[in-house]
Amino acid sequence: MITGPRSAVTSAGNGSSSRRPRILGRRAGERALARPTSTSFGERAATWGPLAALVAMCVAFSIFADRFASVDNFQAILDSSAVLAVITVGLTFVLLLGAIDLSVEGVMATCGLGFSLLVLNNRNGWDLGLVAVIPIVVLGAGFGFTSGTLSSRLKVPSFMTTVGMSAIGVGIATLLFGGLQPNILDPALGRWTSGRWFGFTPLTFVAAGCVVIGALIQRHTRLGRYAMAIGSAEDIVALSGVNVSRYKGYAFALAGAFYGLGAVMMTTQLQAGVVEAPNGLNFTAITAAVVGGTLLSGGQGGVLQSAVGVLIVKVLENGLVLLDVSPYLQRAVQGVVVVAAVAAATWPLRARLRVVK
Amino acid sequence: MHSRTMRAIAIGLALGAVGLSACGSDDDTSSDTPEAETTEGATDDGTDDGEAAAGDGCAPEDITLIGQVRNETNPYEKAWLDGGDTFAESVGLTQKRLTYGGDSQKQQDQIRQELSSGNTECFVLNVLPNGDADTAPIVAATDDAGAFLVTQWNKPADLSPQDYDRWVSHITYDGVDSGSQIAVAMFDAMGGSGGIVALQGILDTGAAKDRYAGLEQALADNPDITLLDQQTANFSRAEALTVMKTLITKHGDEIKGVWTANDDMALGAIEALEAAGMEGVAVVGIDAVPEAVEAVNGGTMTATVSSDGPWQGGIGLAIGYCAAIGEIDVAGLPAINRAFYADQTLITGDNAADYLTPTVDPAEFACDRVFDRASAALS
Repeated sequence: MITGPRSAVTSAGNGSSSRRPRILGRRAGERALARPTSTSFGERAATWGPLAALVAMCVAFSIFADRFASVDNFQAILDSSAVLAVITVGLTFVLLLGAIDLSVEGVMATCGLGFSLLVLNNRNGWDLGLVAVIPIVVLGAGFGFTSGTLSSRLKVPSFMTTVGMSAIGVGIATLLFGGLQPNILDPALGRWTSGRWFGFTPLTFVAAGCVVIGALIQRHTRLGRYAMAIGSAEDIVALSGVNVSRYKGYAFALAGAFYGLGAVMMTTQLQAGVVEAPNGLNFTAITAAVVGGTLLSGGQGGVLQSAVGVLIVKVLENGLVLLDVSPYLQRAVQGVVVVAAVAAATWPLRARLRVVK
Repeated sequence: MHSRTMRAIAIGLALGAVGLSACGSDDDTSSDTPEAETTEGATDDGTDDGEAAAGDGCAPEDITLIGQVRNETNPYEKAWLDGGDTFAESVGLTQKRLTYGGDSQKQQDQIRQELSSGNTECFVLNVLPNGDADTAPIVAATDDAGAFLVTQWNKPADLSPQDYDRWVSHITYDGVDSGSQIAVAMFDAMGGSGGIVALQGILDTGAAKDRYAGLEQALADNPDITLLDQQTANFSRAEALTVMKTLITKHGDEIKGVWTANDDMALGAIEALEAAGMEGVAVVGIDAVPEAVEAVNGGTMTATVSSDGPWQGGIGLAIGYCAAIGEIDVAGLPAINRAFYADQTLITGDNAADYLTPTVDPAEFACDRVFDRASAALS
């Protein structure tokens, strides 16, 4: 999964630079594009603010809710963050571009149904086991690449292409569903969600691995740096000879690959291919990313910030239940906290953000 | 050359995308379009006879049957439409299967579109309104078109079929009763005492409120049972899994039973319990989706309640059909046949094997038997 996009990126980079006049030396150019040289107070606040908020929330919940600060609960929070974390890591690359991805639910529906039909199930004779993860991740990447390429080549806003892609995904998933829910019968897969490694479910380690891999891709590959740069100033990046459309396609493909993996994890947890299971996850993931400091305007934040956002969302969800807040009020309280957190996170940056729509 | 090729590819892709997204949104219905068109064609041919006969009822072959539910990805609603097909076959017709993906606006649009052409006086619609508020415009549209309508599950309390000529019946189920039936079955399985948690449905729906009221009723009768916590999981399996995990950390082994307002949430809760290695917890749900019936039969779940989806899909069309051909005099029907609670069945380990394959006997759709399952008039 890491080597694929990376080697593709390298060769693509060579191809494009040989055709266009080179304005900056590649190394110097990349560095200039990817990293603003000075770090202002505002930026530091935007990076560390959400983490501070997370810590503050944990402290507050520990004081007011008896069972919050326990090893069990810590494990429960991380375990239940796994799927959202993987999705949000993928989504971050799209948000860094300054684009949006609303195809999460459709892509995950198709990938989830596809996965449940490729492993030992009650519908057909396939029994690929863990190998089935590979075609599903590739399928997710294919969805993402299609959305990204369509929007950048045809100049259609990603909002529209991804909404369309989501509908296509739900449609395909409905066909795959075929009226009889595929249930996973492979006991080895069940252990990924019920087994324990050091007290956590194995899926939690998968999610942690995704966060690390995502952060490495973002920092150390051309794809990650260009995504950040495109989100900050797409016109300048294009003028420096970068094939922007191509890198947008790759960024969406990378995101799609993470959605595919997220769908595999969710399907494993539910032990069934459920078309509606990812519903609501798209907006939760966007919320998590933004709360963490990956802003919708692009070029801000990153994988680690988004991961903090995921924890904020999940800690809030968990803490409100433990605090015995009435379920009738929980949604409203979550909304208030999310709006407040985003306002606080963007406050130091508000002068630098251009127009907000 | 290169850019022209690109443009051609782009246009091709765009057209393809438009086509695909159209399929994506309407996919549930598209496969049925050929039959549906034939049905409509037949109706159009017979328009004159139909209108002439409208006074004494439609000729059976002129009738168009339409079943509309949210989506076919939900096993219960899929079974519903299949039941509609069973009825349609029994009278030599085809049912047009419509799905609106839980989108209220789309539901209204579909109905208006269906009623915009053809001999609508011989249309029979069996509709699952998306929510209470969606029923009024559906009733108004069908009444204007003179089509026969049966609605199920959702309607506002102040809207009654008795005020309309063509809205024959509204069928629903007593959620209080189902909520309390499964609660009692769970209490029995727990030996009459212990702690339980409850997972509610979407809090602003009538079904969620009634079912929970049923649980509260059962709790009042069983003082040895303690309600440790209640949360909502919005009728969703994935949300139930997450919420249940949190509840398990909060209450741990005190949880001896899990009451849920539908089977999807029950199945999600079972996954959470299994992941936590908790055994012997009684889990109950409502709707009798196939996987839940299997779980009840296999012993991992304690009980569920069946409203009988295939029967619901057939009976709405059957009532409308009987009214359309003049076998039922709509104005002369008693209140208990216009808006009523239908019988439902508690499924436990004892009888689950009988419900593993949901089927329906077409004999129940005979015009003199269509109201056999009416258990009480809707107040």
